Amino acid sequence: MSSGGSDLDKAIAQLRACRPIPENQVREVCYKARELLIEEGNVVTVDAPVTICGDIHGQFHDLMELFRVGGDVPDTNYLFMGDFVDRGFYSLESFLLLLCLKVRYPDRITLIRGNHESRQITTVYGFYDECLRKYGSANVWRHCCEVFDYLALGALVIGASTTLTPTDGPPAPTNTTQLAPLDSEIEIETLNAANEIMYRYARDSSQASNSQQPSTQSPSASSPTIPTPSNIGPAGTSATSSSSGSPGTPGGAILCVHGGLSPLIDTIDKIRLLDRKQEVPHEGAMCDLLWSDPDEIDGWGLSPRGAGFLFGADIVKCFNYKNDLSLIARAHQLVMEGFKEMFESSIVTVWSAPNYCYRCGNVAAILELEEDGSNAGFVRRSNGERGAGAGGWILGSNVGPNTSNRHSSPGAGNGNGNGNANRLGALTDSVPQRRRDGPGRRYRVFEAAPQDSRGMPAKKPVADYFL
Amino acid sequence: MEANQNDELYPIAVLIDELKHDDVLLRLNAIHRLGTIALALGAERTREELIPFLDESVEDEDEVLTALSEELGNFVEYVGGPEYGHVLLSPLENLAAIEEPLVREKAVESLNKICEQLSQPQVEESFIPLVFRLSKADWFTSKISATGLYNAPYTRATPPSQESLRQHYGQLVHDDTPMVRRQAANNLAKFIKIMPATIVIEEMIPLFQHLAADDQDSVRLLTVDILIAIAEAVPKEQQSSRGVLLTALRSLFEDKSWRVRYMVADRFEKIAKAVDEEVVNRDLVPAFVKLLKDTEAEVRSAIAGQIPGFCALLERETLLHDVMPSIEELVSDQSQHVRAALGTQISGLAPILGKDETISHLLPMFLQMLKDEFPDVRLNIISKLELVNNVIGIELLSQSLLPAIVQLAEDKQWRVRLAIIEYVPLLASQLGVKFFDEKLSSLCMSWLGDTVFSIREASTQNLKKLTEVFGVEWANDAIVPKVMAMGQHPNYLYRMTTCFAVSTLAPALSLDVIEKSILPMMDKLVNDEIPNIRFNVAKSYAILIDTLKQLPEEGTVLALQKAGTPSQGCQKSHELITKSILPNLEKLQQDDDVDVRYFATTAAQGFTDAMQT
Repeated sequence: MSSGGSDLDKAIAQLRACRPIPENQVREVCYKARELLIEEGNVVTVDAPVTICGDIHGQFHDLMELFRVGGDVPDTNYLFMGDFVDRGFYSLESFLLLLCLKVRYPDRITLIRGNHESRQITTVYGFYDECLRKYGSANVWRHCCEVFDYLALGALVIGASTTLTPTDGPPAPTNTTQLAPLDSEIEIETLNAANEIMYRYARDSSQASNSQQPSTQSPSASSPTIPTPSNIGPAGTSATSSSSGSPGTPGGAILCVHGGLSPLIDTIDKIRLLDRKQEVPHEGAMCDLLWSDPDEIDGWGLSPRGAGFLFGADIVKCFNYKNDLSLIARAHQLVMEGFKEMFESSIVTVWSAPNYCYRCGNVAAILELEEDGSNAGFVRRSNGERGAGAGGWILGSNVGPNTSNRHSSPGAGNGNGNGNANRLGALTDSVPQRRRDGPGRRYRVFEAAPQDSRGMPAKKPVADYFL
Repeated sequence: MEANQNDELYPIAVLIDELKHDDVLLRLNAIHRLGTIALALGAERTREELIPFLDESVEDEDEVLTALSEELGNFVEYVGGPEYGHVLLSPLENLAAIEEPLVREKAVESLNKICEQLSQPQVEESFIPLVFRLSKADWFTSKISATGLYNAPYTRATPPSQESLRQHYGQLVHDDTPMVRRQAANNLAKFIKIMPATIVIEEMIPLFQHLAADDQDSVRLLTVDILIAIAEAVPKEQQSSRGVLLTALRSLFEDKSWRVRYMVADRFEKIAKAVDEEVVNRDLVPAFVKLLKDTEAEVRSAIAGQIPGFCALLERETLLHDVMPSIEELVSDQSQHVRAALGTQISGLAPILGKDETISHLLPMFLQMLKDEFPDVRLNIISKLELVNNVIGIELLSQSLLPAIVQLAEDKQWRVRLAIIEYVPLLASQLGVKFFDEKLSSLCMSWLGDTVFSIREASTQNLKKLTEVFGVEWANDAIVPKVMAMGQHPNYLYRMTTCFAVSTLAPALSLDVIEKSILPMMDKLVNDEIPNIRFNVAKSYAILIDTLKQLPEEGTVLALQKAGTPSQGCQKSHELITKSILPNLEKLQQDDDVDVRYFATTAAQGFTDAMQT
């Protein structure tokens, strides 16, 4: 696909200016996108570094703001977790831009399906009407819906570093006390567009560190008090003592899915077996992946949405443990702070539509996962699938033999007393001894694009407005 | 022959079929093809068959009628030229009475267009009677259309007809329904513009007075434009004797409806320019001050927008003593929108006030507004600082404002930071190297690591401009090491800044710097683990090749371009391309990542293409 062709580049430029492209060009792009997406598995494998984004919902100008804050395609790698369309006024431009970028730079951007990428939902929540209004016929909507059927259901990010490089910048005035020192192991960092660090949490090697929830801002959990090198040594640098010498060990994969888990899915391989090329069904595994929500309950519960399920901490931890995941990233639910970690940081909701529906007053966030430098052996193919070099990475396969070594209670987190043989070595290391450390997570929080960058006149009443 | 006839009939048959078709789209298409059909029919049959047919087809969707109204405006040529233009009036008269405003608007537009092409007898015999019929119609829709039809015939009518046109317009002004009065008010300003002063004074001022006293504020607010038109028409020396005008003006300023006051505020400069100086000083200055203190924020915002325009008309003394205090109060207005509006305008006062007064009056206001809690206010001030700079000079400006500017460079709103960045090269050029290194240098470098991608990108542009200002050697000492250090950053998004900086800086750098600092760093980055870095290296190489091709042993490409002396480069620069860049590009062309291969190939292509030509 490297011969992107100037037509496609022109289309991208036109869409970036928020002008729709002609119907025949839409047809062509959708056709190319389908050719590309059909080659992707139900679960796409993505290498870190990557920036994970949640719902967009047709808020085109806020998508542009996202790119301004997070970097442009192809310079920054992106993974969008669905719900590109509906609700906002520019579903068409937003989705087509992302799709054109996908066709032009298939290895730089990954799109997975959200519950709004469906014929039934888009006819009710705006995308269908928007296409009809902008083209006078439903053809474009039909083309887009065909692409929806080919979007992957989830993505697996591998090779993410367990620690972050601290970002330079002054702390936000309100949170100075919570910043972990720069020389400690940074697990979570939250940056706002004000060039300030809102929070920085060190990975705490002597106790369960994953319980901080930035939304609750509990300073005690952030424990910036143990920065001494002797303490971090084991938790961080390379876990050299036990397993392997490769630096920057990966802390397990991150599953990205729009909604959440399904009672019918206990391993990621089961997602791979689904027949996804269809309209989102009303029930079943595929529906659940796109519709479910985490909730503070035990086990499974009925979802008030009428589709998918609610699932509790035990379900998430069990699933992560079984599939060797360090984190599930999902979207689907509005969170006022832009992101929300739950269940001792085993699952996170990322929301990327600031001031949702132009009225909710929320901020948006994107989640950056850094590279750990150990993924050099993997080569991505243009179809998004892994080449032969990575054939061995099948998650189910390195689950079996070690269960006895793992903590039986996921709640115990990574509280390992010896603090030594704590981190997985290379991917081939088959003796994990505790729950995976979460990846280093940098959340960039941003606000809605200002009025005048929306191509609309600022809120200044013109005289004729009264007439 | 008969078949021939059928052929000729065919288009109209199709048209009539399609005009009667159930599908609106087909009917719409048929309307848009009217011109073609008319051409096929010929002028005579168009007049005798098509127009009467259209005359009867006003029962349709508004969308179709709008299209028909528009098409008919261009139909004069199809009915046989201007001498037959009047046949088009009848269908348009019907369309001008339709309920949907859009249809009427188009019909009025087309009628005016046709009127321009009619001869004087045609205007007298056909057009003016049509205007009168519409003006006297029972239903308000026709009357509304009529108000827009007076200008075109008026200039071409005989004096008696002109008089009766004015009389009829007067009736519209006195109409019972506010909808008609509104439109009459709306069009009166234009109507006045084509009349001589005496008639304006005798006949139009009473109409204006009637409208200005209307009990609907939506009518009254429209009289502001009429007032301006009258004031422009009446010679200034006669104005002050026209007491009625001044009374009307005063009552508009103090209207109880804020919407009327908003209109006055919005048009203040225009009003001031239309009236004579005495009125400005006696009446407008107090009114201006009063509007600055209006209870409605919308009004205050509007009048804030008129500050430079109006103040330019005033005498210095008046401005300083009567107006400035009230303007200064706006700095701490309750409404952020008012403060933002003031922010965009206040710099415009600097040229009017001159250096000394700017320092004593404006600078304190700037300082306060730069600290405003609402980012738009800060941004508006910053983006207009250049005007002030021209008046008081950068030195004073920087002395007094630099602390505030430095503070803004760390503003929470990244767009404010962006505005500051764009302003830095100008500051730098005026401040000189030493001052810059002391006060601003670290700031510029910190932007390279900003959390917002756009700021990092803009900061590289900024560095290029700084290099232009301070020269290559300074850049080599102050910028290049820091840029290169970013290439070691563990996060690929920040390493990328180095690539961006190399791409933007390249034309401003000398051969020596490129060889000793840039290319070695690129050698490292070309082996980066992250493909995004590698293809950005390829992109930077493309620009480096382009630069080196033109680079002589001394100097920079940018300097050459400015001097207008293109160069073919020197042997050493070509050697650098072939020895340090092309091998790396070849390697990148074999990369595992498709995007890296693409950008490397593009860069290499750029070189070979240039070699061939």
